[in-house]
Amino acid sequence: MDAISQLQEKVNTIATIAFTTIGTLQRDAPPVRISPNYPEAGSGPTPAPNPNPTPTPAADSDADFAKQPKLMSAELVKAAKQFDALVAALPLSEGGEEAQLKRIAQLEAENDAVGQQLEKQLEAAERELQEVRELFGQAADHCLNLKKPE
Amino acid sequence: MATATYPPPPPYYKLYKDYLQDPKSAPEPPPPIEGTYICYGGNYTTDDILPSLEDQGVRQLYPKGPNIDFKKELRSLNRELQLHILELADILVERPSQYARRVEDISLIFKNLHHLLNSLRPHQARATLIHILELQIQRRKQAVEDIKRRREEAQRLLKESIGTLEDTGASFVLK
Repeated sequence: MDAISQLQEKVNTIATIAFTTIGTLQRDAPPVRISPNYPEAGSGPTPAPNPNPTPTPAADSDADFAKQPKLMSAELVKAAKQFDALVAALPLSEGGEEAQLKRIAQLEAENDAVGQQLEKQLEAAERELQEVRELFGQAADHCLNLKKPE
Repeated sequence: MATATYPPPPPYYKLYKDYLQDPKSAPEPPPPIEGTYICYGGNYTTDDILPSLEDQGVRQLYPKGPNIDFKKELRSLNRELQLHILELADILVERPSQYARRVEDISLIFKNLHHLLNSLRPHQARATLIHILELQIQRRKQAVEDIKRRREEAQRLLKESIGTLEDTGASFVLK
């Protein structure tokens, strides 16, 4: 893909990562304890009838959830760094529009000149080919004529 | 069988009755449209220029001017974007109801980024044209060299064959 399309894709990727990050964190965030009067979510009205299986999945998902912001922000920063690298690698030739247009006019003139040369060479080559064909025809005729007396 | 029939063809097909005999008796096709035209309620232009940000009602964050340093502006917009995302995250923690302004700012930055990238396209088109012209010149020069070489070789072969013919011709005459 060419450089500018890659840059555009990278910008869209950064946007996607940004809103995915914030959306996921908002959706999956565990509740925050604001007032000390309300009990914790773990110790509810039925205090843990089977303590063994329940804490482990809760603790696991909490640990996983704590890793999410780190992973996602690492993705975001990685994408931003890739964008910077792509910007640095842009083959942006300085000189602006006029310099480019001048170069195009110059190349067009050179192209015309070389085209003329090519045409001349082609014409000369065609003429020579025609002559050679004639000569070959004559030689073949002579061959045929000379072979008769045998 | 509640099928609807197709709509009839437009009635001006009758004008083309004698087209085979006299092509000029039928009306000319409509000329190409110039300028702006309306299609299904939307305005379109035939002039293919990237509309500037002000035309779309979006504030321009990077400085205007004849020659913009694209790399610098792209990099600074990227940093601004990262800062704004961080600000949004902070605001969501402290004052979640005030997210709207931050989200607007972030979308403004994205619009500026895309507009900058789109304005690089004409430059890319000219650079592609330059590259194509250079390739064509190189191919033409190569072709000229090839033809010159082949002609010289053909001349050489002809001269050789003249020599061989003279030799065999002389031996034939002597026989």
